[in-house]
Amino acid sequence: MPPRPRPSGRLSSEARSETSSSTSPERAADDDTDFFMAQANDSQSSIGVATFRDIHVHASRSVPVPPIGRLPPEILIATFSKLVSPVDMLNCMLVCRNWAANSVGILWHRPSCNNWDNLKSVASSVGQPDSLFNYADLIKRLNLSALTEDVSDGTVVPFTQCKRIERLTLTNCSKLTDKGVSDLVEGNRHLQALDVSDLRYLTDHTLYAVARNCPRLQGLNITGCSKVTDDSLLVVSQNCRQIKRLKLNGVNNVTDRSILSFAENCPAILEIDLHDCKLVTSPSVAALITTLRHLRELRLAHCLEINDSAFLNLPEQITFDSLRILDLTACENVKDDAVERIVSAAPRLRNLVLAKCRFITDRSVSAICKLGKNLHYVHLGHCSNITDGAVIQLIKSCNRIRYIDLACCNRLTDTSVQQLATLPKLRRIGLVKCQTITNRSILALAHPPRANHPMVSNLERVHLSYCVNLDMRGIRPLINNCPRLTHLSLTGVPAFLAVDLTAFCREAPPEFTQQQRDVFCVFSGEGVTRLREYLNGESTSPQEETEATMYDDDEELDEDEGQMTGLMHATGINDEDYIDVPPQ
Amino acid sequence: MSTQITLTSSDGVDVSVDRAVAERSVLIKNMLEDLGDSGEAIPIPNVSNRPFPCLGCVYYVRTSSPPSKSNGDDDDNRRKTTDIDEWDQKFMQVDQEMLFEIILAANYLDIKALLDVGCKTVANMIKGKSPEEIRKTFNIQNDFTPEEEDQIRRENEWAEE
Repeated sequence: MPPRPRPSGRLSSEARSETSSSTSPERAADDDTDFFMAQANDSQSSIGVATFRDIHVHASRSVPVPPIGRLPPEILIATFSKLVSPVDMLNCMLVCRNWAANSVGILWHRPSCNNWDNLKSVASSVGQPDSLFNYADLIKRLNLSALTEDVSDGTVVPFTQCKRIERLTLTNCSKLTDKGVSDLVEGNRHLQALDVSDLRYLTDHTLYAVARNCPRLQGLNITGCSKVTDDSLLVVSQNCRQIKRLKLNGVNNVTDRSILSFAENCPAILEIDLHDCKLVTSPSVAALITTLRHLRELRLAHCLEINDSAFLNLPEQITFDSLRILDLTACENVKDDAVERIVSAAPRLRNLVLAKCRFITDRSVSAICKLGKNLHYVHLGHCSNITDGAVIQLIKSCNRIRYIDLACCNRLTDTSVQQLATLPKLRRIGLVKCQTITNRSILALAHPPRANHPMVSNLERVHLSYCVNLDMRGIRPLINNCPRLTHLSLTGVPAFLAVDLTAFCREAPPEFTQQQRDVFCVFSGEGVTRLREYLNGESTSPQEETEATMYDDDEELDEDEGQMTGLMHATGINDEDYIDVPPQ
Repeated sequence: MSTQITLTSSDGVDVSVDRAVAERSVLIKNMLEDLGDSGEAIPIPNVSNRPFPCLGCVYYVRTSSPPSKSNGDDDDNRRKTTDIDEWDQKFMQVDQEMLFEIILAANYLDIKALLDVGCKTVANMIKGKSPEEIRKTFNIQNDFTPEEEDQIRRENEWAEE
């Protein structure tokens, strides 16, 4: 095919993006959930002026320039990028040639492929050789995650000519193989973010293609790509040195070999998630913390090999002030000595997750106290050695805690919870299976001491499953005094299994057994409101209202309002682990 | 360091403003840094042949809320919507010619918050309108052939949902 005529003097979008990168407008951020979106500044993609493929010059027609004609392209683009609806953008394209050239890049910046018809339409325009614009080059973000397993290697063939994609999100397109993904990546020097979570067929082949082609890569999420090994990741670490975010959840072949190489070669790393990378050991952790000076988030949940030496060997006299989030869920070889060292090495930790680090004791909690007001989020579930004394000290020292989970800390009594109730910013509290607590605890949460507390409780989510001593005398005041309450779990609490109350409870998850269903009791969203109304005698009959869709199962997933979520969909901590399982 | 500085627009109009206010224009801030504190008037040559846009910009930065609210770091909020607060809306209630002058001046002076409000104002004039209504609003000539219009519609069908 002969090259298409390229009129002289045309502005290519590439030229634009390089000369005015600072003014390149972002298209309005919207519902797109690809995992790099949260930090828009890291890899802003650029929009420029496009050119008609076959330009008909209309210079002979002398048209008086209207006032808006004085606005230069960059301002028109900035204006069009304020539009949210693709329909409005398309209408701009249809106004005149100049507007078309300045709006097409915004419309095609991230073509909407959230259903099959759209995808077909987008793909057919991309593949058309005589289209009005070269759409393939305008696509900067492609997100096919909404179509999940409908996407096959065949589906993505038209997009293999889109060589300027900056963010490629294929989450859950589980039928895709190396063929489809590596063809998309091949020849693309612009790729900044790649999310191939749960594409289980992918192997090192795709990652080699990434390493070969994508020097600007900043974000890589290969969660669940369990066939990928160190071999390709090593090459990625050597070639993609601008990486900032790396998510290797469940890539269980990963070992220290590649992690040490990332630590050595990719100094820009901000976030790394090695959830369930069970072969990773302490030297990797020490290297990541020591060499990555910007490291902000380190997630090591279920990396069972990690022990105290990961932290005890950190260089003295250096503090790692960037580190804000550390997740050591189930790293049970991490003990008190390590926690003490962590706190002094990373004094600005904001989120600390030590759930299931079951050997830690009050000594760790005392150390955590040194984080003071920096600590917002602390998870100590299943750390059952902890006692009231330590919790009281923690609350006094760290009064900005917003989230605390003490599930299964079964030595704790009402004394701890009464102290917890004084936290002025407390939004979420997890006390699942703290079996000794009584209504006294709940009354304290409902009526916190006013001295340093806001007039209205901030509590939003309260997990009290299997706190078997509770009954209405505690819960009714709690519900009435916490206007922001959207989640209350009382699974396995005998006083709440009466039929009239469970009418407001949401459905048990489908995978639950009958026995589990019998004790399931979680009120969320509207369910809380209606329980409140019912308890106060404002509601007539529960039956009438149960057909409304009051159960929002998704809510359970949006854990922790971004505190736990880095940019990637945090797998975070799943409260359900603690809440809805029946007692053993 | 003097707290008042003088700006001169291209038509020779002098405006005296607080230095802190003027520095919300990145252009002026850079100029002040380059020139040092000479006490002399700062010429702003590219702003219009009419005094209003220049004065308008100064007025805007002086009276609008401080940077924390609608400009500065909060890029996301600024970009996301075409919501404009009431004060800004009133400020932008001028004829089109003036609106575009203000936008051009804000662009030249590099006053991000004002440029942003300007663009949002124009975007709001576009929203919900058909192409023909947009042309009417801004007095734009349609220079497409009917075939080209058809082709655009066809190739962008996905955007019409």
